[in-house]
Amino acid sequence: MLEINNLSKHFGGLAAVANLDLNVKGGEIFGIIGPNGAGKSTILNMIDGYLRPTSGKVIFKEEDVTSCAPHERARRGIARVFQSNILFSDIPAMTNVRIGCYLHSGIRFWASFLGIKKRIDRQEMLLYEKAEEILKFVGLYEEREKEAASLAHASQRRLCLAIALAVDPSLLLLDEPLAGMTAEEVASMLIVVRGLREKKGITFIIVEHNMKAIMRLCDRIAVINYGKKIAEGPPTEISKNPEVIEAYLGAAEHAI
Amino acid sequence: MFDITGEAIAQSVLNGFCLGWSYILIAIGLSLIFGIMNILQFAHGEVYMLGSYCVYAFSVMVGLNFFLALIISIALMALLGLFLERFIFRPLGGELLTTLIVSLGLMIILQAGVQVGFGVTPKSYPIISHAAVANIMGMKMAADRLMVVGISIAAILGLFFGLKKTKLGQALIASAQHFAAARLMGINPNLMAATAMAIGSALAAVAGGLMGSIFRFDPFMGGAALLKGLIVVITGGKDSILGVVLAGLLVGLVDGIFPVLFGPAVASIASLVIVVIILLIRPQGFLGHAQ
Amino acid sequence: MPNRKLTKSFTLVVFIAFMFLYPILSRNMYWIHILSIVFINVLLTSSLRTINLTGDVSLGTGGFLLVGAYGSALLAMKLGLSVWLSMLLGGLMTAITAFLLGFVVMRTKGVYFSIMTLLVSEILRLTMWYWKDLSGGSQGLNDIPRPNAITIFGLKTITFDTRFTMYYFILVIVALCLLALFRLERSLGLPWTALKKSDVLSESIGIDVSGYRHVAFVISCFFTGIAGALFAHYMGLLEASELGKFAMLSSIYIIIYMVVGGAGSFWGPILGAGLLTIMPEIFRPLKEYQPIFFGLLVILIMFFMRQGLVSLPHNLRIGWIRVGRHLKKYAVQRVSSR
Repeated sequence: MLEINNLSKHFGGLAAVANLDLNVKGGEIFGIIGPNGAGKSTILNMIDGYLRPTSGKVIFKEEDVTSCAPHERARRGIARVFQSNILFSDIPAMTNVRIGCYLHSGIRFWASFLGIKKRIDRQEMLLYEKAEEILKFVGLYEEREKEAASLAHASQRRLCLAIALAVDPSLLLLDEPLAGMTAEEVASMLIVVRGLREKKGITFIIVEHNMKAIMRLCDRIAVINYGKKIAEGPPTEISKNPEVIEAYLGAAEHAI
Repeated sequence: MFDITGEAIAQSVLNGFCLGWSYILIAIGLSLIFGIMNILQFAHGEVYMLGSYCVYAFSVMVGLNFFLALIISIALMALLGLFLERFIFRPLGGELLTTLIVSLGLMIILQAGVQVGFGVTPKSYPIISHAAVANIMGMKMAADRLMVVGISIAAILGLFFGLKKTKLGQALIASAQHFAAARLMGINPNLMAATAMAIGSALAAVAGGLMGSIFRFDPFMGGAALLKGLIVVITGGKDSILGVVLAGLLVGLVDGIFPVLFGPAVASIASLVIVVIILLIRPQGFLGHAQ
Repeated sequence: MPNRKLTKSFTLVVFIAFMFLYPILSRNMYWIHILSIVFINVLLTSSLRTINLTGDVSLGTGGFLLVGAYGSALLAMKLGLSVWLSMLLGGLMTAITAFLLGFVVMRTKGVYFSIMTLLVSEILRLTMWYWKDLSGGSQGLNDIPRPNAITIFGLKTITFDTRFTMYYFILVIVALCLLALFRLERSLGLPWTALKKSDVLSESIGIDVSGYRHVAFVISCFFTGIAGALFAHYMGLLEASELGKFAMLSSIYIIIYMVVGGAGSFWGPILGAGLLTIMPEIFRPLKEYQPIFFGLLVILIMFFMRQGLVSLPHNLRIGWIRVGRHLKKYAVQRVSSR
């Protein structure tokens, strides 16, 4: 589904990401881990278009999207849940998701411009139904009328996920989705992710620091250190890989 | 374009320096006020204009010595700044659009007020005769321009040392760099805002008072002054005093020399186009921090 | 409440009827002229709001007003086109200018965007000011023609050489433009509001943020250009000086109209432009003191009604409810103390 060829990103003289190759298969849950500052967020930014790579290609569903803007990639099916809770904070959760549904809603400009009431009403109905379905799936249906800013952190996370689901993605990028969650909340998020893969066939790329969760969840994991991939494979292999352990210990030493 | 004497060029360079330093004084005030209070004080140009008229009132109409009139003008404008901060901007809270409209209302009031009080015909108050010439390094230069540049530089240096050496000044610098952190350390935000307004307005008064002695002024020049101030802040970078100084001198020199070399049309349009280009390729200014 | 919507529609109908009937009832040429200017300002302020819907404030109204005004005037005068056609072309010229300049201007946001629009506007104005062949320099462009006469149903011919007929010309065109703006807000309002709230999030859900901003800019400038053309053919003369209608101060007044009226509502700019254009005329007896009162009024309104005049009914209602509550409390106290 997603192929990354020889991707690099240089900031000034510094290589944040160097010669990265990745190949994520459809329906996979793919994890990206690594010490802080290894370049993981930069990789996500290049996958969904917020950063242009210095060199290399991003190929999605066999099409080269390297020069596409983020909104264009969203149209093709790449969605993202950001590290910080980016929401439309002063409106209810339901409206947040409805705005997300706008993209694929098929609302035609001329119908709304000329005010053709029947078509508008029908389209609005479809938006409502779709948004309700998504909210139910992530477990936010009860809180759907609450203002986004007033939701608890974990609920806000789920709302971000709901908004990302609204664009009907085939690839979903999760940037540290489990940060700040209790063990219960983590468990329920894992169930949601697995459920989305099973029911909707969504492919996931997840950047996370929560080792236990990642090991349990992902089919394959890539380990990034100093912008380079140092290991890739199923969780069992990764956890035993001496280079990976060295990278984390080394990072811990520097941190002290 | 080719029959311009070297003396004319020297004169225009000196004019450019005068203009440049006045832009710097205005720009530092604007940047200080925006940095600390996060408001766009669009009446700042009128404070500059009022600086000229205050000096006019006290020197020409009352008959005081120019320097005394200048000091009174600076004091009065600083008081005006304090008044505006305490009774207009502080009660409003920090919302950008609201304070912008209020400052625009102030701009209209001040402009009309000066029109009512002094009329629309341009005024001036030469301190030394415009013809007086000093001989610097074998070149003849207008003495009054030299004096203006000298006093402007003295004012900036005075400000610089005042900021670095006094507790109030250091608190101001800290607040300008990171307002939330400064507040957490116990620095009183209202005091900072008041100081910023007072200093900013005082600097504008210095610029106005000095410029009025070499160029004619009218009640409508506030808008152009504000625009120049904004341009200098943007090109210099709102985080950096040195950047503002460099940008101010550059813009001033362009404004001084281009009209002589290329005529007013090309000069005025070219200087704006240059700013547009700078805004596009380096929006944080020469020495500002990237966003 | 169905009541509220009904009263709103009712007031609107009454208002429009009044606008159409006023000249016939009043015959006061002075106020007919003022109202014509009001209509042009209303169009200007409403088109400024279109840019504001995407979260930006444009200081460039003057420059684009100039393109529409001079564009239409020059096409009519130098190429002999019908004014009806030249006005439309003037608007299109402004839209095309905005489209091209948009690639430059759209790369900035927030305060930088505002300053960029101001710079662009001044560049346009100065270019025209110094291009004396086109603009007439300080003499200005004079004898700009009125719209060509039209014949209705082959029977009645209407000429537009009086202020009376021009009033209706302007009223009808402005009303049509406002209708178009209203419908545009209904159709494009959602992506515009979304990108105003968060451009990052909007981009990630497929909204072409820079595209929609560009569209808003072009639409806004089109209607600004139409307003300019109306201004040109109504006033009959144009000048591009720094004290005129195309200078920075003029753009600033439009922003004041928008915010004082209330930028959050479609009717806000209309209210603001209407009231604040009329106000200096009512205070004309104050002569040179008038702007001082204008400025004071603006400041007072900002202090007490931050969302603008359009929130006045809402604030009055809240005030009324509070008064009612206090009275009730007082009454209960009186009763229980017996």
